[in-house]
Amino acid sequence: MINKLKKWSISTVIIYSILFLISLTVLVPLLHLLAMSLSDPLKVHKLSGLGIIPEGFSLINYKILLSNPLIIKSIFNTLFITIVGTAVNLLLTAMTAYVLARTKFPGRNFVMIFLIVIMVFEPGLIPEYLLVKNLGLLDTYASLILYKTINIFYLFIMMRFFEDVPESILEAARMDGAGHFRIFTKIMLPLSKPALATMGLFYGVYHWNEYFRATIYLTDTGKWPLQLVLRQFVVERDNTSLLGAQNFLSYDQIATLDFASLQAGTIIISVVPLLLIYPLILKYYAKGAFEGGVKD
Amino acid sequence: MKKGILKQIKSSWVLYLMLFPALLYFSIFHVVPLIGMKLAFQDYRIIGDNVWVGWKHFKILFSSPAFLDVLKNTIIISVMKIVFFFPIPIILSLLINEVRVGKFRKYVQSIVYLPHFLSWVIIAGIWIAFLNPEDGGVNVIRSFFNMPSLDFMTSKDHIRWVLVFQEIWRSAGWDSIIYLAAILKISPSLYEAAKIDGASKIQQMRYITLPSLTSTIMTVFILNLGFFMNAGFDQVFNMMNNSVISVIDILDTYVYRIGLLNGQYAYATAASLFKGVIGVVLILSTHFISKRFTGKGVW
Repeated sequence: MINKLKKWSISTVIIYSILFLISLTVLVPLLHLLAMSLSDPLKVHKLSGLGIIPEGFSLINYKILLSNPLIIKSIFNTLFITIVGTAVNLLLTAMTAYVLARTKFPGRNFVMIFLIVIMVFEPGLIPEYLLVKNLGLLDTYASLILYKTINIFYLFIMMRFFEDVPESILEAARMDGAGHFRIFTKIMLPLSKPALATMGLFYGVYHWNEYFRATIYLTDTGKWPLQLVLRQFVVERDNTSLLGAQNFLSYDQIATLDFASLQAGTIIISVVPLLLIYPLILKYYAKGAFEGGVKD
Repeated sequence: MKKGILKQIKSSWVLYLMLFPALLYFSIFHVVPLIGMKLAFQDYRIIGDNVWVGWKHFKILFSSPAFLDVLKNTIIISVMKIVFFFPIPIILSLLINEVRVGKFRKYVQSIVYLPHFLSWVIIAGIWIAFLNPEDGGVNVIRSFFNMPSLDFMTSKDHIRWVLVFQEIWRSAGWDSIIYLAAILKISPSLYEAAKIDGASKIQQMRYITLPSLTSTIMTVFILNLGFFMNAGFDQVFNMMNNSVISVIDILDTYVYRIGLLNGQYAYATAASLFKGVIGVVLILSTHFISKRFTGKGVW
């Protein structure tokens, strides 16, 4: 007993307390917004700014938010952009990485230099916008999917992953007469599932969180991703479109609604999917970053 | 010999085919807008060809007080972040490293990494709620210490500090990963020897852990300098409001506003090119400095 107490020296207690407090600064604001969104709109004013237990209980905020056509549409838009976008990202990044990391051909060095030059020289916002406009891609999902379709940083990371696949396996396939495309699809990809998971999360999280390209490329609100709708409600404080379509509520009910709680609910709705895949993120994304010293 | 290369090219046609989509993509979506930066030296015309105007936009830019303010804000915010944010992930990694209870360590890490994965829109939303002058969490704490309530989001004196603290809140946890990885590589025998010599925890930190981290710290510091002119577009874009625009408007938000909102394409491109050129010089020099001193470059 005394031994155990001795191990918990003062400095240890201080370190644990500091880390505990730091964790609270992350958790409390999120739990507070959750509590706010679940509170009864008539009692929510009693909730302290640090409160994490709902005052009363009501699902009215979520009922309103999830019956709002703009929000529902935006969730599907985000899912579509994230799934299709990530698939295209992965396919192109992996295929290019395979050719550059595992094959020899005349002109390889030229391609590598081209990529490094491109990585250093980023084009500006305006020419990018004018290009998308001139290609007639404004107000299309393609304008979002075609932005950084191959992230060169990620491409280089993918190449490092592919370099770890033993040469003997590829050599054996070549002896059996398999062509490059076959080796890529039948051997490289199946052997690189963890790398693909890591890379998929890199790209997927990016697409899920993207709002800026959508801000400049999409004027049609029906095509907006969730983040942009969230931005409109929470950052721009525009509540007209939020409450516009509430024909199942009476005026009295609308009058009792708490706008801040609705904002909180919108934030929670966009955080929950991320929390659901967070264990995967910790497993692949964080581990990949930890092992590779990779930082983005 | 020449025939040999031709033969090689011919036999590699599948590889060229596999590379083709990527090269096509980069040519259209990267090289074309890169060449499009020439707009900085032109006047934009909706109909017909643009007209070359030389350095006109740059001359206007550098005689415009608005642009000089924006440049000043960018530098101030970047310097504040380097001075006050940069050491935090290092300190955090040292603290986490001291945690021996596996479960607690895992929970702390999972929690402090989380904000890195939230979008800047969500982060702005959380902070706007938490800094609310009436009942936001921060002002609840202030009133507990008998301090008057403060509207941080509209206060010119505080908003830059809000950006710094927000950056710490979002990125300190995630950025500590790179240092934790470096700490794990330190040989345990060093600590054993220190313990035998009676070194305290603090002394071990001061004389073993920190010195072993020097090269990692250098690398991260140098690489960060390469992005000095960015100052955090997404953060400022979402935290911006009319009361504080004069103190947190940075180059990227300026280009967005002047170019895409006001439609002054050529003028905005000139501002953007100015920033881009400084960025390239910084990235190239940090790459070569880093390569020289730590053996690790940007690519």
